[in-house]
Amino acid sequence: MTYSPPPIVPAGMTPPAEPLMTPPAAPPAASPGPPAPLEFVLNGESAVYAGRGDARLLDVLRDVFRLTSVKCGCREGECGACAVIFNDRLVNSCLVPAGMVALGSVTTLEGFRETERFAVLDRAYARFSAVQCGFCIPGMVLASEALLRRNPRPSPAEIREGLSGNLCRCTGYNAIVEAVTLASKEGEGLW
Amino acid sequence: MVSGLHPRRLNEALAAMADPGVIALAGGTDLMVGETETERRFLYLHNVREMRGLRETPDHLVVGAATTFTEVLESPLAPPLLKEAVSGVASPAVRNAGTVGGNVANGSPKADSALVLMVVDAVLLIASARGERLLPVADFYLGGKKVDLASDELIVEIRLPKSRLAPHYYCKVGGRRALAISRLSFAGLFRQERGRIRHLAAAFGAVTDVIFRDRCLESMLVGLEIPEAKKLRQDFLAAYGAALVPTSGRVSKEYRRSVALNLLGDFLTVFGV
Repeated sequence: MTYSPPPIVPAGMTPPAEPLMTPPAAPPAASPGPPAPLEFVLNGESAVYAGRGDARLLDVLRDVFRLTSVKCGCREGECGACAVIFNDRLVNSCLVPAGMVALGSVTTLEGFRETERFAVLDRAYARFSAVQCGFCIPGMVLASEALLRRNPRPSPAEIREGLSGNLCRCTGYNAIVEAVTLASKEGEGLW
Repeated sequence: MVSGLHPRRLNEALAAMADPGVIALAGGTDLMVGETETERRFLYLHNVREMRGLRETPDHLVVGAATTFTEVLESPLAPPLLKEAVSGVASPAVRNAGTVGGNVANGSPKADSALVLMVVDAVLLIASARGERLLPVADFYLGGKKVDLASDELIVEIRLPKSRLAPHYYCKVGGRRALAISRLSFAGLFRQERGRIRHLAAAFGAVTDVIFRDRCLESMLVGLEIPEAKKLRQDFLAAYGAALVPTSGRVSKEYRRSVALNLLGDFLTVFGV
Protein backbone atom coordinates (compact mmCIF):
# COMPACT_ATOMS: atom_id res chain seq x y z
CA MET A 1 0.00 0.00 0.00
CA THR A 2 1.43 3.36 -0.95
CA TYR A 3 1.18 6.17 1.52
CA SER A 4 1.14 9.86 0.65
CA PRO A 5 1.68 12.08 3.64
CA PRO A 6 -0.20 15.36 3.75
CA PRO A 7 1.91 18.31 2.57
CA ILE A 8 3.22 19.44 5.90
CA VAL A 9 6.26 21.20 4.53
CA PRO A 10 4.86 23.76 2.10
CA ALA A 11 6.01 23.40 -1.51
CA GLY A 12 9.26 25.21 -2.20
CA MET A 13 10.38 25.00 1.42
CA THR A 14 13.33 22.67 1.97
CA PRO A 15 13.06 20.61 5.13
CA PRO A 16 15.68 21.74 7.63
CA ALA A 17 18.62 19.45 8.35
CA GLU A 18 18.81 20.39 12.02
CA PRO A 19 15.99 20.17 14.58
CA LEU A 20 14.05 23.30 13.96
CA MET A 21 12.13 24.60 16.92
CA THR A 22 10.97 27.75 15.15
CA PRO A 23 10.38 27.22 11.43
CA PRO A 24 10.25 30.29 9.24
CA ALA A 25 6.82 31.73 8.60
CA ALA A 26 4.83 29.74 6.06
CA PRO A 27 3.95 31.27 2.68
CA PRO A 28 0.54 32.95 2.55
CA ALA A 29 -2.25 30.41 2.74
CA ALA A 30 -4.64 30.00 -0.16
CA SER A 31 -7.59 29.81 2.19
CA PRO A 32 -9.17 32.98 3.53
CA GLY A 33 -7.50 34.75 6.41
CA PRO A 34 -3.83 34.99 7.24
CA PRO A 35 -2.26 31.83 8.68
CA ALA A 36 -1.93 32.12 12.42
CA PRO A 37 1.02 29.97 13.47
CA LEU A 38 0.45 27.51 16.23
CA GLU A 39 2.52 27.79 19.38
CA PHE A 40 3.17 24.96 21.78
CA VAL A 41 5.81 23.59 24.10
CA LEU A 42 7.87 20.81 22.58
CA ASN A 43 10.29 18.95 24.82
CA GLY A 44 10.36 21.88 27.21
CA GLU A 45 11.04 24.57 24.61
CA SER A 46 8.63 26.83 22.82
CA ALA A 47 7.83 25.74 19.28
CA VAL A 48 5.93 27.25 16.38
CA TYR A 49 4.22 25.37 13.56
CA ALA A 50 2.55 26.93 10.53
CA GLY A 51 1.37 24.01 8.37
CA ARG A 52 -1.97 22.29 8.10
CA GLY A 53 -3.88 22.26 11.37
CA ASP A 54 -5.45 18.90 10.61
CA ALA A 55 -2.11 17.21 9.89
CA ARG A 56 -1.28 14.35 12.20
CA LEU A 57 0.98 15.39 15.07
CA LEU A 58 3.00 12.27 14.16
CA ASP A 59 3.88 13.70 10.73
CA VAL A 60 4.57 17.17 12.09
CA LEU A 61 6.94 15.85 14.74
CA ARG A 62 8.83 13.68 12.25
CA ASP A 63 8.81 15.80 9.09
CA VAL A 64 8.88 19.36 10.42
CA PHE A 65 10.65 19.00 13.75
CA ARG A 66 12.78 15.97 12.74
CA LEU A 67 11.95 14.12 15.93
CA THR A 68 12.34 10.68 14.42
CA SER A 69 11.99 8.73 17.65
CA VAL A 70 8.28 9.06 16.93
CA LYS A 71 7.63 6.02 14.72
CA CYS A 72 4.84 5.49 12.25
CA GLY A 73 3.43 1.99 12.51
CA CYS A 74 -0.26 1.98 11.65
CA ARG A 75 -1.74 5.52 11.52
CA GLU A 76 -4.88 4.31 13.30
CA GLY A 77 -4.01 4.09 16.97
CA GLU A 78 -3.47 0.35 17.00
CA CYS A 79 0.28 0.01 17.58
CA GLY A 80 1.54 2.72 19.95
CA ALA A 81 4.80 3.29 18.02
CA CYS A 82 3.97 7.00 17.68
CA ALA A 83 3.01 7.49 21.34
CA VAL A 84 4.03 10.80 22.89
CA ILE A 85 3.07 12.56 26.09
CA PHE A 86 0.63 15.44 25.55
CA ASN A 87 -0.30 17.50 28.59
CA ASP A 88 0.82 14.74 30.97
CA ARG A 89 -1.12 11.97 29.18
CA LEU A 90 0.12 9.31 26.77
CA VAL A 91 -1.51 9.70 23.35
CA ASN A 92 -1.01 8.22 19.90
CA SER A 93 0.34 11.15 17.90
CA CYS A 94 -1.12 9.69 14.68
CA LEU A 95 -4.59 10.45 16.05
CA VAL A 96 -3.85 13.94 17.33
CA PRO A 97 -4.34 16.81 14.88
CA ALA A 98 -1.51 19.33 15.09
CA GLY A 99 -4.00 22.09 15.88
CA MET A 100 -5.06 20.31 19.05
CA VAL A 101 -1.73 20.90 20.80
CA ALA A 102 -1.96 24.71 20.54
CA LEU A 103 -0.64 26.17 23.81
CA GLY A 104 -0.17 22.63 25.17
CA SER A 105 2.95 20.63 25.95
CA VAL A 106 4.31 17.67 23.99
CA THR A 107 7.14 15.38 25.08
CA THR A 108 8.82 12.90 22.76
CA LEU A 109 11.62 10.52 23.62
CA GLU A 110 14.12 13.19 22.49
CA GLY A 111 12.96 15.31 25.42
CA PHE A 112 12.38 12.52 27.89
CA ARG A 113 15.83 11.00 27.41
CA GLU A 114 17.38 14.01 29.17
CA THR A 115 15.77 12.94 32.44
CA GLU A 116 17.01 10.79 35.32
CA ARG A 117 13.89 8.65 34.99
CA PHE A 118 14.85 7.82 31.42
CA ALA A 119 18.30 6.75 32.60
CA VAL A 120 16.67 4.30 35.02
CA LEU A 121 14.37 2.89 32.33
CA ASP A 122 17.27 2.73 29.86
CA ARG A 123 19.37 0.64 32.25
CA ALA A 124 16.44 -1.62 33.11
CA TYR A 125 15.50 -2.25 29.46
CA ALA A 126 19.18 -3.04 28.71
CA ARG A 127 19.50 -5.32 31.74
CA PHE A 128 16.71 -7.59 30.43
CA SER A 129 17.55 -7.22 26.72
CA ALA A 130 14.06 -5.80 26.35
CA VAL A 131 14.97 -4.14 23.06
CA GLN A 132 15.44 -6.07 19.86
CA CYS A 133 14.64 -4.27 16.60
CA GLY A 134 13.82 -1.14 18.58
CA PHE A 135 10.96 0.20 16.46
CA CYS A 136 8.37 0.04 19.25
CA ILE A 137 10.75 1.17 21.97
CA PRO A 138 10.31 4.98 21.96
CA GLY A 139 6.55 4.49 22.38
CA MET A 140 7.10 1.65 24.84
CA VAL A 141 9.43 3.76 27.00
CA LEU A 142 7.03 6.72 27.01
CA ALA A 143 4.17 4.36 27.89
CA SER A 144 6.34 3.03 30.75
CA GLU A 145 6.96 6.61 31.92
CA ALA A 146 3.24 7.49 31.67
CA LEU A 147 2.38 4.37 33.69
CA LEU A 148 5.00 4.98 36.39
CA ARG A 149 3.94 8.63 36.78
CA ARG A 150 0.48 7.48 37.88
CA ASN A 151 1.47 4.21 39.49
CA PRO A 152 5.11 4.17 40.71
CA ARG A 153 4.94 0.52 41.89
CA PRO A 154 2.80 -1.31 39.33
CA SER A 155 2.17 -5.06 39.52
CA PRO A 156 3.10 -7.14 36.44
CA ALA A 157 -0.61 -7.18 35.49
CA GLU A 158 -0.78 -3.39 35.77
CA ILE A 159 2.34 -3.08 33.63
CA ARG A 160 0.76 -5.27 30.95
CA GLU A 161 -2.36 -3.13 31.10
CA GLY A 162 -0.34 0.11 30.97
CA LEU A 163 1.62 -1.09 27.93
CA SER A 164 -1.33 -2.83 26.26
CA GLY A 165 -1.53 -0.23 23.49
CA ASN A 166 2.08 -0.75 22.44
CA LEU A 167 2.70 -3.67 20.14
CA CYS A 168 6.09 -5.39 19.97
CA ARG A 169 6.74 -8.15 17.45
CA CYS A 170 10.20 -9.11 18.77
CA THR A 171 10.32 -9.57 22.49
CA GLY A 172 7.15 -11.37 23.48
CA TYR A 173 6.75 -8.64 26.14
CA ASN A 174 8.05 -10.59 29.17
CA ALA A 175 11.44 -8.87 29.11
CA ILE A 176 9.74 -5.49 28.86
CA VAL A 177 7.47 -6.23 31.83
CA GLU A 178 10.52 -7.30 33.85
CA ALA A 179 12.37 -4.16 32.80
CA VAL A 180 9.56 -1.88 33.97
CA THR A 181 9.32 -3.82 37.23
CA LEU A 182 13.04 -3.33 37.78
CA ALA A 183 12.86 0.36 36.83
CA SER A 184 10.09 0.93 39.37
CA LYS A 185 12.32 -0.55 42.09
CA GLU A 186 15.58 1.11 41.03
CA GLY A 187 13.87 4.44 40.45
CA GLU A 188 12.49 4.56 43.98
CA GLY A 189 11.41 8.13 44.65
CA LEU A 190 11.83 9.33 41.08
CA TRP A 191 8.21 8.68 40.13
CA MET B 1 -6.19 29.28 11.05
CA VAL B 2 -3.60 26.60 11.72
CA SER B 3 -4.53 25.91 15.30
CA GLY B 4 -8.28 25.56 14.60
CA LEU B 5 -10.89 26.86 16.99
CA HIS B 6 -10.36 26.38 20.73
CA PRO B 7 -13.46 27.58 22.56
CA ARG B 8 -13.49 27.47 26.35
CA ARG B 9 -17.20 28.04 26.83
CA LEU B 10 -20.18 26.26 25.32
CA ASN B 11 -21.74 29.40 23.82
CA GLU B 12 -18.52 30.09 21.89
CA ALA B 13 -18.47 26.50 20.63
CA LEU B 14 -22.12 26.64 19.55
CA ALA B 15 -21.59 29.96 17.77
CA ALA B 16 -18.69 28.41 15.85
CA MET B 17 -20.79 25.36 14.93
CA ALA B 18 -23.15 27.59 12.94
CA ASP B 19 -20.45 27.51 10.20
CA PRO B 20 -21.11 24.32 8.23
CA GLY B 21 -17.42 24.08 7.31
CA VAL B 22 -16.42 23.48 10.93
CA ILE B 23 -15.96 19.92 12.21
CA ALA B 24 -16.35 19.30 15.94
CA LEU B 25 -13.52 17.19 17.37
CA ALA B 26 -13.51 15.89 20.93
CA GLY B 27 -10.75 13.29 21.19
CA GLY B 28 -9.98 12.74 17.51
CA THR B 29 -9.50 8.97 17.76
CA ASP B 30 -12.13 8.31 15.08
CA LEU B 31 -11.89 11.47 12.97
CA MET B 32 -8.13 11.24 12.59
CA VAL B 33 -8.13 7.71 11.21
CA GLY B 34 -9.09 9.08 7.81
CA GLU B 35 -7.15 11.65 5.83
CA THR B 36 -8.56 14.28 3.47
CA GLU B 37 -7.16 16.15 0.47
CA THR B 38 -8.47 19.49 1.65
CA GLU B 39 -7.75 20.82 5.10
CA ARG B 40 -10.41 20.18 7.71
CA ARG B 41 -11.22 23.03 10.09
CA PHE B 42 -11.57 21.51 13.52
CA LEU B 43 -13.44 22.93 16.47
CA TYR B 44 -11.66 21.45 19.49
CA LEU B 45 -13.98 20.59 22.34
CA HIS B 46 -11.46 19.40 24.93
CA ASN B 47 -11.35 22.76 26.72
CA VAL B 48 -15.09 23.50 26.73
CA ARG B 49 -15.88 23.71 30.43
CA GLU B 50 -19.56 22.72 30.20
CA MET B 51 -18.65 19.53 28.33
CA ARG B 52 -16.02 18.24 30.74
CA GLY B 53 -16.13 15.92 33.72
CA LEU B 54 -18.72 14.07 35.76
CA ARG B 55 -21.21 15.52 38.24
CA GLU B 56 -24.26 14.37 40.16
CA THR B 57 -27.75 15.77 40.36
CA PRO B 58 -30.40 14.28 42.69
CA ASP B 59 -31.58 11.85 40.00
CA HIS B 60 -28.79 11.67 37.46
CA LEU B 61 -25.12 11.10 36.92
CA VAL B 62 -24.13 13.66 34.30
CA VAL B 63 -21.16 12.94 32.04
CA GLY B 64 -19.83 15.85 29.96
CA ALA B 65 -19.67 14.78 26.33
CA ALA B 66 -15.98 15.70 26.03
CA THR B 67 -15.01 13.66 29.11
CA THR B 68 -12.29 11.18 28.21
CA PHE B 69 -12.56 7.48 28.99
CA THR B 70 -9.57 7.83 31.33
CA GLU B 71 -11.38 10.56 33.25
CA VAL B 72 -14.39 8.25 33.62
CA LEU B 73 -12.11 5.52 34.97
CA GLU B 74 -10.51 7.94 37.44
CA SER B 75 -13.79 9.43 38.66
CA PRO B 76 -15.26 8.27 41.99
CA LEU B 77 -18.70 9.17 40.58
CA ALA B 78 -18.63 6.76 37.63
CA PRO B 79 -20.69 3.60 38.25
CA PRO B 80 -19.00 0.17 38.02
CA LEU B 81 -20.89 -0.77 34.84
CA LEU B 82 -19.62 2.28 32.98
CA LYS B 83 -16.09 1.77 34.28
CA GLU B 84 -16.13 -1.87 33.27
CA ALA B 85 -17.17 -1.04 29.71
CA VAL B 86 -14.81 1.90 29.36
CA SER B 87 -11.82 -0.07 30.70
CA GLY B 88 -12.21 -2.35 27.68
CA VAL B 89 -11.89 0.48 25.16
CA ALA B 90 -8.75 0.05 23.03
CA SER B 91 -5.69 1.03 25.09
CA PRO B 92 -4.57 3.64 27.65
CA ALA B 93 -3.41 6.10 24.95
CA VAL B 94 -6.76 5.86 23.13
CA ARG B 95 -8.68 6.15 26.42
CA ASN B 96 -6.67 9.29 27.24
CA ALA B 97 -8.03 10.97 24.09
CA GLY B 98 -11.33 9.29 23.21
CA THR B 99 -14.50 10.66 24.78
CA VAL B 100 -17.91 9.36 25.79
CA GLY B 101 -19.68 11.93 23.59
CA GLY B 102 -17.54 10.99 20.61
CA ASN B 103 -18.31 7.32 21.19
CA VAL B 104 -22.02 8.12 20.92
CA ALA B 105 -21.79 10.64 18.05
CA ASN B 106 -19.80 8.13 16.00
CA GLY B 107 -22.99 6.11 15.65
CA SER B 108 -21.34 2.70 15.79
CA PRO B 109 -23.26 -0.24 17.29
CA LYS B 110 -19.87 -1.47 18.59
CA ALA B 111 -19.23 1.60 20.75
CA ASP B 112 -18.40 0.24 24.21
CA SER B 113 -19.66 3.15 26.31
CA ALA B 114 -22.77 3.67 24.14
CA LEU B 115 -23.92 0.14 25.06
CA VAL B 116 -24.02 1.21 28.70
CA LEU B 117 -25.89 4.42 27.87
CA MET B 118 -28.47 2.36 25.97
CA VAL B 119 -29.06 -0.17 28.75
CA VAL B 120 -29.47 2.50 31.43
CA ASP B 121 -31.81 4.66 29.27
CA ALA B 122 -29.49 7.65 29.24
CA VAL B 123 -30.66 10.97 27.86
CA LEU B 124 -28.54 13.28 25.72
CA LEU B 125 -28.53 17.05 26.10
CA ILE B 126 -28.04 18.36 22.57
CA ALA B 127 -27.52 22.06 21.89
CA SER B 128 -27.00 24.52 19.08
CA ALA B 129 -27.06 28.29 18.86
CA ARG B 130 -30.78 27.82 18.09
CA GLY B 131 -31.55 26.18 21.42
CA GLU B 132 -31.27 22.88 23.24
CA ARG B 133 -33.20 19.63 23.46
CA LEU B 134 -33.20 16.40 25.44
CA LEU B 135 -33.17 13.15 23.50
CA PRO B 136 -33.20 9.57 24.80
CA VAL B 137 -30.06 7.92 23.49
CA ALA B 138 -32.16 5.15 21.90
CA ASP B 139 -33.79 7.77 19.66
CA PHE B 140 -30.43 9.27 18.70
CA TYR B 141 -29.53 6.25 16.56
CA LEU B 142 -31.37 6.29 13.26
CA GLY B 143 -29.73 3.16 11.80
CA GLY B 144 -26.81 2.60 9.46
CA LYS B 145 -24.50 4.91 11.44
CA LYS B 146 -26.94 7.79 10.92
CA VAL B 147 -27.62 9.83 14.04
CA ASP B 148 -30.12 12.53 14.99
CA LEU B 149 -27.66 15.42 15.17
CA ALA B 150 -27.86 18.49 12.94
CA SER B 151 -24.68 19.99 11.48
CA ASP B 152 -24.74 22.89 13.96
CA GLU B 153 -25.52 20.76 17.02
CA LEU B 154 -23.26 19.36 19.72
CA ILE B 155 -23.91 16.68 22.31
CA VAL B 156 -23.22 18.65 25.48
CA GLU B 157 -23.77 16.07 28.21
CA ILE B 158 -25.18 12.63 28.86
CA ARG B 159 -27.55 12.04 31.77
CA LEU B 160 -27.64 8.57 33.32
CA PRO B 161 -30.58 7.89 35.69
CA LYS B 162 -29.07 6.84 39.03
CA SER B 163 -31.91 4.43 39.72
CA ARG B 164 -30.88 2.37 36.69
CA LEU B 165 -27.14 1.96 37.27
CA ALA B 166 -27.11 -1.37 39.15
CA PRO B 167 -27.11 -4.32 39.62
CA HIS B 168 -25.48 -5.07 36.33
CA TYR B 169 -23.97 -7.73 34.11
CA TYR B 170 -21.44 -6.85 31.40
CA CYS B 171 -19.37 -8.81 28.92
CA LYS B 172 -17.37 -7.78 25.87
CA VAL B 173 -16.15 -10.42 23.44
CA GLY B 174 -13.17 -9.23 21.40
CA GLY B 175 -10.33 -10.87 19.51
CA ARG B 176 -7.96 -10.04 22.39
CA ARG B 177 -8.05 -8.13 25.64
CA ALA B 178 -6.67 -4.79 24.43
CA LEU B 179 -7.01 -2.89 21.16
CA ALA B 180 -9.99 -5.00 20.17
CA ILE B 181 -13.19 -3.83 18.55
CA SER B 182 -16.14 -5.69 20.06
CA ARG B 183 -17.16 -8.81 18.18
CA LEU B 184 -20.12 -8.73 20.44
CA SER B 185 -20.93 -7.00 23.68
CA PHE B 186 -23.73 -7.36 26.19
CA ALA B 187 -24.93 -5.30 29.13
CA GLY B 188 -27.82 -6.21 31.38
CA LEU B 189 -29.54 -4.69 34.39
CA PHE B 190 -31.54 -6.75 36.85
CA ARG B 191 -33.29 -5.48 39.97
CA GLN B 192 -35.55 -7.53 42.20
CA GLU B 193 -37.47 -6.68 45.33
CA ARG B 194 -38.68 -9.38 47.72
CA GLY B 195 -38.17 -12.07 45.09
CA ARG B 196 -40.03 -10.21 42.36
CA ILE B 197 -38.32 -8.84 39.25
CA ARG B 198 -38.80 -5.08 39.20
CA HIS B 199 -36.55 -4.07 36.34
CA LEU B 200 -34.78 -5.93 33.56
CA ALA B 201 -32.89 -4.43 30.64
CA ALA B 202 -30.70 -6.18 28.06
CA ALA B 203 -28.62 -4.43 25.40
CA PHE B 204 -26.54 -6.09 22.68
CA GLY B 205 -23.68 -4.34 20.87
CA ALA B 206 -22.29 -5.27 17.43
CA VAL B 207 -25.22 -7.52 16.52
CA THR B 208 -27.49 -5.22 14.51
CA ASP B 209 -26.73 -1.85 12.91
CA VAL B 210 -27.80 -0.05 16.06
CA ILE B 211 -27.34 -1.30 19.61
CA PHE B 212 -30.18 -3.78 20.12
CA ARG B 213 -32.79 -3.45 22.84
CA ASP B 214 -36.34 -4.76 22.86
CA ARG B 215 -38.42 -3.41 25.73
CA CYS B 216 -41.33 -5.67 24.83
CA LEU B 217 -39.21 -8.81 25.28
CA GLU B 218 -37.67 -7.42 28.47
CA SER B 219 -41.14 -6.98 29.95
CA MET B 220 -41.83 -10.74 29.61
CA LEU B 221 -40.09 -11.32 32.94
CA VAL B 222 -40.80 -8.03 34.75
CA GLY B 223 -43.25 -8.34 37.61
CA LEU B 224 -42.71 -12.10 37.94
CA GLU B 225 -41.35 -13.93 40.96
CA ILE B 226 -38.06 -15.73 40.34
CA PRO B 227 -39.57 -19.28 40.15
CA GLU B 228 -42.14 -18.06 37.60
CA ALA B 229 -39.40 -16.36 35.60
CA LYS B 230 -37.39 -19.59 35.65
CA LYS B 231 -40.26 -21.41 33.98
CA LEU B 232 -40.29 -18.79 31.24
CA ARG B 233 -36.51 -18.79 30.79
CA GLN B 234 -36.49 -20.98 27.68
CA ASP B 235 -39.32 -19.04 26.05
CA PHE B 236 -37.53 -15.80 26.86
CA LEU B 237 -34.30 -16.98 25.23
CA ALA B 238 -36.21 -18.35 22.23
CA ALA B 239 -37.97 -15.01 21.76
CA TYR B 240 -34.62 -13.23 21.72
CA GLY B 241 -33.29 -15.89 19.36
CA ALA B 242 -36.05 -14.98 16.91
CA ALA B 243 -35.65 -11.21 17.38
CA LEU B 244 -31.87 -11.03 17.08
CA VAL B 245 -31.09 -10.95 13.38
CA PRO B 246 -27.41 -10.03 13.05
CA THR B 247 -26.23 -7.78 10.24
CA SER B 248 -23.27 -8.95 8.14
CA GLY B 249 -19.96 -8.12 9.73
CA ARG B 250 -16.37 -9.17 10.12
CA VAL B 251 -17.46 -12.00 12.40
CA SER B 252 -20.08 -14.48 11.21
CA LYS B 253 -23.76 -13.89 11.96
CA GLU B 254 -24.18 -17.38 13.46
CA TYR B 255 -21.29 -16.86 15.86
CA ARG B 256 -22.56 -13.47 17.01
CA ARG B 257 -26.10 -14.72 17.44
CA SER B 258 -25.09 -17.74 19.51
CA VAL B 259 -22.71 -15.71 21.67
CA ALA B 260 -25.44 -13.11 22.22
CA LEU B 261 -27.88 -15.77 23.41
CA ASN B 262 -25.24 -17.45 25.57
CA LEU B 263 -24.54 -14.15 27.30
CA LEU B 264 -28.23 -13.47 27.79
CA GLY B 265 -28.59 -16.92 29.34
CA ASP B 266 -25.57 -16.34 31.58
CA PHE B 267 -27.02 -12.97 32.64
CA LEU B 268 -30.22 -14.71 33.78
CA THR B 269 -28.25 -17.44 35.54
CA VAL B 270 -26.12 -14.92 37.43
CA PHE B 271 -29.29 -13.31 38.79
CA GLY B 272 -30.84 -16.65 39.72
CA VAL B 273 -33.28 -17.08 36.82
